[in-house]
Order: sequence, then structure tokens, then C-alpha cells
Amino acid sequence: MALDSWTLFVVFELLIFLGIFPLLVFGWLMGAKGRDPIRDAPFESGQTHLGEARQRYMMQYYPYLIMFVVFDVVAMFLFTWGLAFTALPFAQGFLLLVFLVILVAPLGYALYLSSKTEIW
Amino acid sequence: MRRLQGLPALDEIVSLAVRIITSRTFLEILVFPGFLNITLSAAFLTWLERKVIARVQLRIGPLYAGMWGILQPIADGVKLMFKEMIFPELADARLLMLCALSLMLIAAAPVVAIPFGDGLVIANMEIGLIYVFAAVSLFPTVILLIGWGSNSKYPFIGGLRSLFQQVSYEIPMWFSALGIVMLTGSLNLTEIVKAQQNIWFLVPQVLGFAVFFTTVLAELERIPFDLPEAETELVMGWMTELSGVAFMIGFLAMYIKLYLMSALITVLFLGGWLGPPLLPDPVWFLVKTFLVSSVIVIIRGSFPRVRIDLLLKAGWTRLLLLALANIFVTVILIVLGLDWMWRV
Repeated sequence: MALDSWTLFVVFELLIFLGIFPLLVFGWLMGAKGRDPIRDAPFESGQTHLGEARQRYMMQYYPYLIMFVVFDVVAMFLFTWGLAFTALPFAQGFLLLVFLVILVAPLGYALYLSSKTEIW
Repeated sequence: MRRLQGLPALDEIVSLAVRIITSRTFLEILVFPGFLNITLSAAFLTWLERKVIARVQLRIGPLYAGMWGILQPIADGVKLMFKEMIFPELADARLLMLCALSLMLIAAAPVVAIPFGDGLVIANMEIGLIYVFAAVSLFPTVILLIGWGSNSKYPFIGGLRSLFQQVSYEIPMWFSALGIVMLTGSLNLTEIVKAQQNIWFLVPQVLGFAVFFTTVLAELERIPFDLPEAETELVMGWMTELSGVAFMIGFLAMYIKLYLMSALITVLFLGGWLGPPLLPDPVWFLVKTFLVSSVIVIIRGSFPRVRIDLLLKAGWTRLLLLALANIFVTVILIVLGLDWMWRV
């Protein structure tokens, strides 16, 4: 009897886990331990670190993330459309192409705004 | 004791386990398309990369461990296993180890759906392509978590860059693979390979291949798109604070990702296991996969790095538009009635 994909996936990942986790335990047991302020400092090419790294960074590429959220959904719809393209009537198949062409204009405007770093 | 609702009984679990271990699929999971294959191939790829880069730079490369230094990856692995795992004082060591582990699990996941021969696939999924893309899209999250957990400036900036780059290049990657889905009418990777019996998809989808190959380079964070690991600026990027076994696992996961993305290119565009019947199917598949990997490695040896703003802008303007153009080309092919060659 054939096993379903989900069971096989779980068995495979379990096997990877069983192969890798002992290595981590082994490394933890075999490696040297102990604290040393200089060795435990974050690596900054020899400079003394100042404070935490979890602080504010300039998010000048943030608009790309927003655009990803839009195109992520478009991509998923496109896959269902592409899968059924030849089965669809001619007009319905082409409707989405028109939609894609329309989508290029807002994409261009979004790219224009995202290149203006002073507003981000 | 009353049994919990919905949980299987112990004897059911035991019988399922026995059924799995005695099946032929378990051998596939353990040896050929599965565990041993990906770990050994990733180790071989680290050696291949060092050797090829050495040749490009007129050096010799690893030489002493075994013939042509082929046992060098094993020597490195043993060395790293006995090294101390140093985590910075402000870092979350448990989160880092957990992330290294899950990086490995995510990197290995696509092999479940990739066919290495006719019927030589662990799980013949109907949504194989979507499954592989879903597994690949989990990387940025874990990499950002490693950067956050390290609590050190270089890994955090590297993690952020990695997030932007991988997220931006996923969209052209999906769009460029869409032409193949339209031509075959299937997401099953085995059927996609079988559809290429007459002509490989490299020919009708050459635009899609160019876009897909470029985005794979960016997803793998390799030169010319290795901004998250730019050595001169960010030391080792998000991997800077991993050490010892945790570093080994993260490093191995990156090479497994290289191997499986090469395998995905082979399946989608280079005809998978198909070839003249001189060699067995899996051998053809491995030959093509390692050729693709070698090309990626040679590109690393010969190109400079691009700037991150140019990289992101190129991904959103040029690559996305080229991928859309590829969809239009595919539609024209179908309208002209030329798609019968790739119907299963």
C-alpha cells in the first residue's frame, strides 16, 4: 500500500532531525566551555562593541516588502490561472493578461516612489 | 486509561512504523534521493567549489586529504565538531542553535518532491512545484531570526539584506516558472520532466530560463548577488556569530540548498533524467545537476558584486518585466498551437 506524501515528508524530516541533532549535542558536550569577556563579545572586526545590535535601522528598502505583499497574492492567482489556461475559453484566458498589463502602471509608480529615499 | 480523541492507538503507530521501515520508499528516504544523497553531495560540492575556484585563481586547492583532497570536507567536518561553540554574551544561544537546525530541515525539504529518475521520487506530489517554492520561501524568516538572535551588528544587517533580497527575487522566480506550468498544465515535477521528451523547456522558455537562473543565484546569495555575505563589509553576514557545529550545520544547509536548486533547474529546464540511454536515469540527472552547480561556482569565481539598491531595483524592474514577457511568449506559443510537443 502506498504511503501518502504527508507521512513520507514527516518521516524524511524526522530522519534529518535524528541525523543532525546528535551533532549539536556532541558539539555542545565536546567543545570547551567557560566565560571570557573578550571572547564572548560580539565580533566587530576588533572594535569594542557599543550597546545592543537590536536598534533602529534605516528602512530604505521597505517599499519592496510592501510590493512583495501585493505580488505574492498575484503570483498565487497566476499559478491557478496558468494551470487551467488551455482548458479555459479564449476570452477568459486573456482577461488575466489584460489585468497583468494594467498592473504594470501602478508597479512603475511604486518603483518611482520607492526610489525617493527621502520619504522612507 | 481513556484514549484521547483523534490520537491513533499505539499498535497503529507501531504497525505504521513497521510498514514504513520495511517499504522500498524508506530506502529511498535514507539513501538515494534522500538523506545520504543530499549530505554527501553537499560535502562533495564544498570540495568542488574550492577546487574550481582554485583553478580559476590559478591555485591548486585542497590536496592532502585523500586523492586530490577529496576527503577535505570530512576533515573540515570533524574539525568543526570538536570546536567550541562560541556565542556572544548578548546573543540567544538556544535560538541560534534551533535556527541552525531548522535551516537544515528547510534546506533538505525540497528533495521530497524532486524526481531523480523515473519513479525515483520520495513523494510524487501533484503540487510538487508549489511545495518546492514554499520550502524555499521559508529561508528569509529563519535567516532574519539568526541575525536577530545573534544580537551583533554584522549578522543583523546581513539578515535584513538577505530578507529584502530573497523576498524581492521570489516574485520573478515564480513568474518565470509559470510558462512551464502553462505548457504542461501540471505542477507535478515528474510530469514536467516527462513533458520534455521531445524538446527541453530550455528552448521555448529561454527567457524564463535566464530569469530563473538569475533569481536562483540571488536566492542562493552567491556572487554576484552575495550581499548578505559581502566579506569586505559584513565579514560572513548572518553566519558571523555561528561557530562550531552550528556553523557547520548552517554551512551544510547552504550547500544542500545549492544542490537542490541546481536539481530544480535541471528538472524544469534541462530535461531532468532524460538523456540518451547510454547511462542510467539517475546518473544523467546527477551529471546535469553537477554541471549546473559548476556553472554557478564558476560565476562566483569570475564576477564582481553588485550594489544592493541596484540589485533590488533590477529585480523589480527588469527581471519582473522579463518574466511577464515570458508569460506572453508562452501564450503566443499556445495560441499558435505549438504546445502539443510538451503535452503529456
